Amino acid sequence: MQGVPYAVPASAESGREFVPAANPDGVHNGLRGPHTTLLDKVSFAYDTGLEVFRDLDAGFSDGEIVSVVGPSGSGKSTLLNLIAGLVAPTAGNITRPPATGDSRHPMAMVFQTDTLLRWLTVRENVALYSRFSSHNTPNSSMIGRGLRRLPGVRFARTEIDERVDELLDLVGMADAADAYPYQLSGGMRRRVAFITAVAARPRVLLLDEPFSAVDEPTRIAIHQDVYRVIRLLKMTTVLVTHDLAEAITLSDRILVFGPRTVGLVGEELIELGAERDMLELRSGDDYLKIYSRLWSRLSKQIRRGDQQRTGGDA
Amino acid sequence: MTVSAMGRGNPAAPPAAEQDRGAPARKTVWPSVVTNLWRLLVVVVVLAGWQYLPMIEPLKSRYHVFDPFFISSPTSVGSYLGKLFTGSDGVVSIWPYLGYTVQATLIGVAIGVAAGVVVALLLSQYAALARVMRPFISFVNATPRIALIPIIVILVGPTMSMSVITAFLVVFFIAFYNGLSGGLGIPGPIISNARLLGASNSEIAMQVRLPYVGAWVFAALPNAISFGFVTVVTAEILTGQPGMGQLITTAISNSDATLTFSVVILLAVVGSLFVLAAEVLQRRILHWWDR
Repeated sequence: MQGVPYAVPASAESGREFVPAANPDGVHNGLRGPHTTLLDKVSFAYDTGLEVFRDLDAGFSDGEIVSVVGPSGSGKSTLLNLIAGLVAPTAGNITRPPATGDSRHPMAMVFQTDTLLRWLTVRENVALYSRFSSHNTPNSSMIGRGLRRLPGVRFARTEIDERVDELLDLVGMADAADAYPYQLSGGMRRRVAFITAVAARPRVLLLDEPFSAVDEPTRIAIHQDVYRVIRLLKMTTVLVTHDLAEAITLSDRILVFGPRTVGLVGEELIELGAERDMLELRSGDDYLKIYSRLWSRLSKQIRRGDQQRTGGDA
Repeated sequence: MTVSAMGRGNPAAPPAAEQDRGAPARKTVWPSVVTNLWRLLVVVVVLAGWQYLPMIEPLKSRYHVFDPFFISSPTSVGSYLGKLFTGSDGVVSIWPYLGYTVQATLIGVAIGVAAGVVVALLLSQYAALARVMRPFISFVNATPRIALIPIIVILVGPTMSMSVITAFLVVFFIAFYNGLSGGLGIPGPIISNARLLGASNSEIAMQVRLPYVGAWVFAALPNAISFGFVTVVTAEILTGQPGMGQLITTAISNSDATLTFSVVILLAVVGSLFVLAAEVLQRRILHWWDR
């Protein structure tokens, strides 16, 4: 990979400290450069009345990898569901990247729990997006799909086949293409879930703590693959995680959320370059500095959340 | 535990527990020689007891269960079974009766399972419909199906259709309830994931929900088929349909213990074969479900 495959926000400074949560001149929080995904004074409450966000502003630029960290119950996953459109805000506006008429999907998400369909092979799972009618390419017509599945009928490889094979190769899963999910290890399943979302070429890729259930060495290996794929495809990515190391090594920017209803309290720019070695990175000075700074910010919010829960603080 | 083992015993059991997934692949372990020798011993002891205990006069005269008039004997049953199979010695051939019962069972189970899948799919897809229908379904399910036989006889006559409908009514609910648990139990992220990847409601129903509903219904198949079989035989006993049930009625009215035991043993064998076939079918169809 040569150069920087995405636009570095122009105003970015090295080692920049937190910016204030509310900008007095009405500019959106973390608004640097052209944001294509924008949350404008978004509020959200569950049917039960439990409020999660109050007038939340946040923005995400094209090709940017942004991590969201915060104490439990800060609404990190709700944020992803709002962006994905799986839940509707009770107030406010969400702007998403405009549709351009091609077959790209607006959003795809990798969930914390397993979403692989067990009756489909790895290859079929990755190509899941192509089974649905909203994906209209000549090769994926109802009849075309039906014919292609008949035994003995061989069609020319389609763009979909090629994309799927390429992605499988990128995450080292080419040999497992015809395996069923039950035959895979936890780490392999996570890789498949990831490229299943990526295969749809979403305008925004949403990752909801997708690697929290795998052991550390596997997770770091997955990080390397994930980072390579996201950079290669220049995908706008929002990652929700509890793992600060994960947030730092994978992101361009980290948003820190406070406890419930507080929303965004600050952000951290991560300037560790476009080419990253996940193993080496973790022992570097830059990384360690960011980690300790971020941790002190986060721990403050965790304490705030604890106080909120015990009613010690309003 | 295998898929089939979970399916049996509890109609609402899932095909396989989610938490089982990490377990290594299981192979069919053939019972050891020792186990089989012990099994053989059990068979020999039971058969010998059945054959020879009635020869002890005080036992025989005091208890009916030791009187060959009531319990026949393994040797008489064995030779009678031979005659039933060949239709020799003035004994009727068993095959038309067996064919009748098996046919009614298979048709009833097939329709019941298919209808169970369809209705479970509909109700799990449309939550509002499920809320409306739930009490009615529970009410019908609580009705003893055997008690409906007179009505079914009046409606369709004492025909094979009557047996089929009765079996259907039993099998449908087993299939439906299992399918509904499967359809409603799909983890939310799986549905959300398909939706984000562009699936419409009908595509979610057909490509995501249907495989779940189908898998859970198939998990109940061994159960469904044995209940269907029992129901068909019961319906035949009650209405005199020319199946295995009618042979039992005939045997009882003639006080023919040998015929009764022959038919009962045959029913047990056929019932076991049904369950075995259902388990084989299930393993083939659900090969992708954790083993």
